[in-house]
Amino acid sequence: MGNFIEQWLPIIGQAVMETFQMVIISLFFAILIGVPLGILVVLTRPGQSLENKFVYQFLNLVINIVRSIPFIILLFFILPFTKFLVGTTIGVQGVIVPLVIYTAPYLARLLESSLLEVDSGIIEAYKAMGIKTHKIIWSVMLREARPSIILGLTIVTISLIGATAMAGLVGAGGLGDLAYRFGHLRYEVDVMYATVFILIILVQGIQSLGNRIAARLKKD
Amino acid sequence: MIKLDNITKIFPSKNGDVAAVNNVSLHVEKGEIHGVIGYSGAGKSTLIRLVNLLEKPNSGTVTINGTELTALSNENLRKTRQKIGMIFQHFNLMKTATVYENVATPLKLLGYNKEEVKKRVEKYLEIVDLGDRKNNYPSQLSGGQKQRVAIARALSQEPEILLSDEATSALDPETTNSILDLLLKINEELGITILLITHEMSVIQKICDGVTVLENGEIVEQRSTIELFTDPRHKTTKRFLDTISQRKLSASLISQLKLNGTVTSLTFIGESAGEPLLAQVIEKFNVKPNILTANIMELKNGIVGNLILHLIGEPEQINASLKFLNEQGVATEEVEGE
Repeated sequence: MGNFIEQWLPIIGQAVMETFQMVIISLFFAILIGVPLGILVVLTRPGQSLENKFVYQFLNLVINIVRSIPFIILLFFILPFTKFLVGTTIGVQGVIVPLVIYTAPYLARLLESSLLEVDSGIIEAYKAMGIKTHKIIWSVMLREARPSIILGLTIVTISLIGATAMAGLVGAGGLGDLAYRFGHLRYEVDVMYATVFILIILVQGIQSLGNRIAARLKKD
Repeated sequence: MIKLDNITKIFPSKNGDVAAVNNVSLHVEKGEIHGVIGYSGAGKSTLIRLVNLLEKPNSGTVTINGTELTALSNENLRKTRQKIGMIFQHFNLMKTATVYENVATPLKLLGYNKEEVKKRVEKYLEIVDLGDRKNNYPSQLSGGQKQRVAIARALSQEPEILLSDEATSALDPETTNSILDLLLKINEELGITILLITHEMSVIQKICDGVTVLENGEIVEQRSTIELFTDPRHKTTKRFLDTISQRKLSASLISQLKLNGTVTSLTFIGESAGEPLLAQVIEKFNVKPNILTANIMELKNGIVGNLILHLIGEPEQINASLKFLNEQGVATEEVEGE
């Protein structure tokens, strides 16, 4: 046991760091793109303040198309785009682009449903008070939707961890890659178990944290 | 203060266009409390949303305090709305914000500085009697308290007009009374003009100076509350009045009573409600009145009494006694049987 830890700890530690790195960076950019996208989808819906059938349908179509492609396919499908954007298609850098493209529409969709859950009466009340639309979005809708948004982010983060497992295919490393290379290709079953164990702890931890924050923000 | 002129609002539907509000005109003077009453689907909610243009009318004009809202740009409309407070049936408070934050947030978003926000929130929470619940969340409050928070939120912008969209409809009768008392207090002490919609005649009775009865998007009766209570004309108005007083007798009972004598409804207003007129009738004429139902209602601006009498006697004596009552300022109306 001691031997195993001594031998594998640096390698597993390295993989954990890579996974974290990919998840955090991708999540950051996915939020940057997904949040405005989600808000825009809500606002251009029929009956909303920026109602625009064309934009709404277009955004919906884009989100649905991206969401229909499995990550492993998306990863290769957008290789030229990745190359164009970051100059490489391998390593952590190369995998961030597909991860963000994979995650942002998902995040937008979840945000959309969170925002739509906000009681329309509250929005009407703030409109009646003569408050600007962008302030209503920021200080009322996003605020009221916080618990639900946190739960959405939790789901997105966990699915991101799943997607990073495939990142090994473009040499980005991470826990999934470790389990695949050592556990599967080299029959080092212990490594596979250890990786799976760490992934379980990680996912459990993130879900519990998300649940706890959401519960604290929720006041009813 | 509030002038709606020839307002029409049409909603498209699968079975053709539906006029939710049809050619409605409504004027409310400064300092008045005006009530719009109607059944569900009468167009009340649409009507009140047309006042601050949450719904845009297809035709007609809305004028508030001399400004024609229907002619304003979106930006100017937004600014004008800040002077029109609104409260709702389901309160519309933020669940994730405390009582204090619920009142403070709109003020902050409107750009008031910190001290002004604090001053106003405290002042108006005090007015609605919730000074000690500042740090509670809406889920910790009763329905009446939530409505008080909503009222404080509306008042904190120091509006000239308050629109009330079924504000007491989700509350029990006792809480309804306390909210109505609060609205009266706001009207009297702060001089705020109130336009409210309701389906409860008791709300009209307690606080309204004037009434509009709405049915299928059209006005069927529009008068002062006292007139409406003493001399209802439209059948819908009469049905609403039946909901708060024991005026209704079964048609078969009336027919039976009419075999000897007449059945008459008497309405007393103000002064005459206090005089022993019935005793005089017995003294002067050869008729025997039998009281079938009686009630007295306190309106905001007066007292209205209603009696339904079975008058037994010779027809000419009965007619003479009714004439006498009319002369004394009592409205009489024969009650129809089967």
